[in-house]
Amino acid sequence: MKTASGLLLALAPAALAATGPAQAGEGSVEYLYSNYHEDDLPASRSASGKAAGRYQVDSHMFRAQQPLGASDDLSLDLTHERMSGASPWYVMPDAQGRPVQVMSGASISDIRNAIDAGWRHDWGRRGTAKLGLGYSQEEDYRSWQFSLEGELKAWDGTQSVTAGMSWFDDRLEPTDGGSPLYPGRVIEAGKQGGSLYAGVIQVLTPRDQFRLTLSTLWQQGFLSDPYKLAYITGSASTVADSRPDRRVSGALSAQYRHSLATPGLALQADYRYFQDDWGVQAHTATLALNRSGSLWDWSASLRWYSQSQADFYAPFYASLRGDGLASSDYRLSPYGALGANLDIGRRLGAWRLGAGLGVYRASEDYALGSVALPNPGLVSWRNGYLQMSRQY
Amino acid sequence: MNMMTAGRTLTLALLLAGSAACTVAPVKPWQRAHLASPAMAWEMRPQVASYRQHVEVSKEAASGGNGLGGNACGCN
Repeated sequence: MKTASGLLLALAPAALAATGPAQAGEGSVEYLYSNYHEDDLPASRSASGKAAGRYQVDSHMFRAQQPLGASDDLSLDLTHERMSGASPWYVMPDAQGRPVQVMSGASISDIRNAIDAGWRHDWGRRGTAKLGLGYSQEEDYRSWQFSLEGELKAWDGTQSVTAGMSWFDDRLEPTDGGSPLYPGRVIEAGKQGGSLYAGVIQVLTPRDQFRLTLSTLWQQGFLSDPYKLAYITGSASTVADSRPDRRVSGALSAQYRHSLATPGLALQADYRYFQDDWGVQAHTATLALNRSGSLWDWSASLRWYSQSQADFYAPFYASLRGDGLASSDYRLSPYGALGANLDIGRRLGAWRLGAGLGVYRASEDYALGSVALPNPGLVSWRNGYLQMSRQY
Repeated sequence: MNMMTAGRTLTLALLLAGSAACTVAPVKPWQRAHLASPAMAWEMRPQVASYRQHVEVSKEAASGGNGLGGNACGCN
């Protein structure tokens, strides 16, 4: 990453209860190409008074699953991503005192490569266990992670308990850190952390099932964004983005699936509540219709998201806070977002071809409660993908 | 939220879920045809879901919920 911000985590590829394309004893290979494209920053929210291009990512993802005997399988995920464009740098007031965004310039050009390997053991009706190891590398960032997950099923198969833990160790060496051009930018830093989750899955009726999961994530180390600044109006100057060096969060997730009268047609309703010790509370709700037929499958989903701001966040500051914390990152600002996704797939013998489109729009208008001073850097994006998979 | 609070909330939520589960009438194996449909999966397309979660987590303050954190990126 040549310039760029430095948050955060991505979720590991899912819990054991997720149904993959390959059933027990079957192998599979999958390839997915995706393009992610952020909408331009509007001229009305730009400090330059002109619309500005933002970020885009081309991703190639390869996944293979290979059975080892009747009760074990190995999985391998490879990811190659090329990122380019510009990202929000800092926010300052315009002549009327409204916050406007200063962009980094189209200077990001980076590649991310990641590898994740997993081993899963299946105890049949009793449950499963999975061990995972992952590594991700960018020009200025590298991350190791380790995970262990398990599912224990009740004797009648209608109830199960899931649990998992992970640990990660990240290292970053920001581009131009400590250079004469960016003397306030950190040269080298690290962060570590881990997560835990536990949950229950319950079959309610022959057509309904429910899942409840509680998870917690803790991080410590350098949690600031080395590529962002915060603006101090009193001195008309900027300071480096500075956040607490510790963060603990928790999330409660509820998922419900209902099979409709038409065979292979199901309703999906998901909700997640999130809270952390930086003062952020967030709600996420997803509603989807899923169809699975012998030849065609499709899904249509709507997603709503709303978060409150971090305690130390402000679009800009009159003077430096007493604790020295400062961040104008839109991801820590109060806002809401609406997203929609459409997926479709077609089976051709052992092959399956898939495609999908997604749109996402963040706005203060979608937030739970009113937002007095919206961050001008709120992002909207589009993405599309093509997927090809084969079972053997 | 500290670890103690998170632990207490986890215990309470799981106890409530467990209590609710005890009141559900068992569903027999021969009644599970609809439940076995791929459309009823928690993630119908795991690779696509993993990709979308990666994007959302890098653009929002919230994370977690159904699985594990990790596999960090220096995402913009």
